[in-house]
Amino acid sequence: MKRHELIVIGAGPAGLSAAIEAKKNGMDVIVFDENQRPGGQLFKQIHKFFGSKEHHAKTRGFIIGQQLLKEAEDLGVRVELDSTVMGIYENKEVTVKQNGEVHHYKGDAIIIATGAAENMIPFKGWNIPGVIGAGAAQTMMNIQGVQPGSKILMVGSGNVGLVVSFQLLQAGCEVAAIIDAAPRVGGYGVHAAKLARTGVPFYLSHTVVEAKGTDRVTGAVIAQVDEHFQPIPGTEKELDVDTICIAVGLTPMSQLASNATCDMELIPQKGGHVALLSEYGETSVEGIYCAGDVAGIEEASSAMIQGRSVASHVSMKAGYLTEDEFESKYQGYQEALGQLRQGMFAPKNKGRNDFTETDEGYPISKTLLAHGYMTEEELSKFPAASYQKAGIHPVIECTQNIPCNPCQDACHFGCIKVGENITRLPAIDEEKKCTGCGLCVASCSGQAIFLVDETYEEGFASVTFPYEFLPMPKIGDKGKALDRQGKPVCDAEIVGIKKTPIMDKTAVVTMKVPLEYVHAARFYRAEV
Amino acid sequence: MIRVANPEPFVEREDDDMIICRCEEITKGEIRRAVYDGMRTTNEVKRYLRSGMGLCQGQTCQRLVQGIIASELKVRPSELGMIQGRAPVRPVEIRTFSKNVTDVKED
Amino acid sequence: MRISEHPIIESYHKGKQITFTFDGKELTGYEGDSIAAALKAAGVMVHRYTAKQHKPRGIFCAIGRCTDCVMIVNGVPNVRTCVTPLEAGMQIQTQYGVEPKKED
Repeated sequence: MKRHELIVIGAGPAGLSAAIEAKKNGMDVIVFDENQRPGGQLFKQIHKFFGSKEHHAKTRGFIIGQQLLKEAEDLGVRVELDSTVMGIYENKEVTVKQNGEVHHYKGDAIIIATGAAENMIPFKGWNIPGVIGAGAAQTMMNIQGVQPGSKILMVGSGNVGLVVSFQLLQAGCEVAAIIDAAPRVGGYGVHAAKLARTGVPFYLSHTVVEAKGTDRVTGAVIAQVDEHFQPIPGTEKELDVDTICIAVGLTPMSQLASNATCDMELIPQKGGHVALLSEYGETSVEGIYCAGDVAGIEEASSAMIQGRSVASHVSMKAGYLTEDEFESKYQGYQEALGQLRQGMFAPKNKGRNDFTETDEGYPISKTLLAHGYMTEEELSKFPAASYQKAGIHPVIECTQNIPCNPCQDACHFGCIKVGENITRLPAIDEEKKCTGCGLCVASCSGQAIFLVDETYEEGFASVTFPYEFLPMPKIGDKGKALDRQGKPVCDAEIVGIKKTPIMDKTAVVTMKVPLEYVHAARFYRAEV
Repeated sequence: MIRVANPEPFVEREDDDMIICRCEEITKGEIRRAVYDGMRTTNEVKRYLRSGMGLCQGQTCQRLVQGIIASELKVRPSELGMIQGRAPVRPVEIRTFSKNVTDVKED
Repeated sequence: MRISEHPIIESYHKGKQITFTFDGKELTGYEGDSIAAALKAAGVMVHRYTAKQHKPRGIFCAIGRCTDCVMIVNGVPNVRTCVTPLEAGMQIQTQYGVEPKKED
């Protein structure tokens, strides 16, 4: 048996962050992970993260993963891969499967950071090959470079379902529909809107009732559901798909905490059975902690801060931090977590659907919740979305209070303001000038910022939008401008393309459209 | 808890043949029948049917099994408890257990 | 199908092309592939048939959690193909229950 001051189980965002914090404080720490690569699920997140600028917002998940790994390597954190923790026994003894053998370790403290598993819903044919988890789709396309299918039905409109649907489009797949049994889109409206404008249809209050096929999926039957989520006979619709992707939430992988005899409880806001934790993340068993999704489902950004916060408590208990040092670190981490845990989608608001207006008092778009896009009428209630002035200027279609603020630093002229509270909607400072540089367009993780110029040319306006697909349009290309629901509304000509390193692969594309379509045109499709 | 023989006959449903525990191939009907037969918690149903005892150790089906038991008993899932986490919590081949390394080696 | 070009991902860090067999048939993949990815790229959907109901199964979670994608690899059954790296010369077989297909 080998002894370590701290054993961390799981080398994902929470576990790695915890190990980094503990190592920095001088602790002897070892991390076990069952996978062959560290980083947990971060490396398949290719989208830009939300949050505050100080905490990785607008950085893509896999790049955050690379930064985290480098930090761990530079510090000399010992990460044992291919090492499956099998159980936690009395006195914090841990058995680990390594090289086909059982190895014993003892930790003075243990941080469980095992993450989460995907929820599934059963339906007729759900075990036919071709029905997969959304995480599986991400692994195949973003890590392995293989398309999970060619025509996909996405079941679930939470952030995972929306983000993975967008990534499926980026991988060259077709998303036939996004469905959800709930009557409202579950994830961020901006994630839904960037899909809707490409033409992906949303079917809310719908469920999948059957996967067709024998040896592989050859189609999917969906149906509308009543208020008890039961399919309504006669509303069935068959979709021509070869893959059904399930994204209906996550469950904490808390078996090790249960195995370690920690007091457990089913807490729906946290996503399932979790260990009861003290404010410092300690379970009912002294010296055993939980951090990240295993403590309650949240975002990777929160998991990283939680990991550090928990490890600072462990370090203090072990004598590596004074109480004062710990207090000041802890306060800092809690403040950062507090920022991320605000807004309409905060963990405390999980399941709430009674928001009718934003913190600023603007009416929330019902069309956005029902169909994934906003009407011009609804957008007109939001000053930043209906902003007009001569010359080029931003239009910000960000209409829900979510914790995110990279846009305010993107503009060098201070044209965009979010303020201290990062869940406030961005506001446009009319006094400040806009040069049309497009940095705000590329910085918005929700792809909700556009530049509009109503005075581009006599009778024509320009609309600038973020673009993350292939093939990349070229200047002079002619095609159709699409509206917010992906319907072609008018002819469009590509007149500008910007791609700079700071934009991090989000191209900023400008199209010329007839003036009367300036408020409708938000996306572009090449003429086929 | 007092258990009495269920006076009502077991009522079959259309989707009873749907697989719930993918590893052990346990159907919704079998789980409903287990509850009818007197199993009242997720752990009991697991021991009765082996649902959640396969290779994945209930990773996929635990919630689903819990939901079915809860709806049969008309209680909240939180009242049923979770499957007790037991080592090995992840799939490990039996032969691994025969290779128990106890000596202290310096690395 | 393999993704040849991606707007965000510059490289999938694949090594050289290697060959392996699937039910005796020679297929190619790349170093860095998981077995499951190489099979998927080759169009293989069915990894095994279940023990009780003899129903086909394939990739489901792709991160080694659900164990649906297990196959017989170099004679060893129940290998999670989604987390096992492909190696040159690997012999991969469809799993029937926990065995290879019986010769009729």
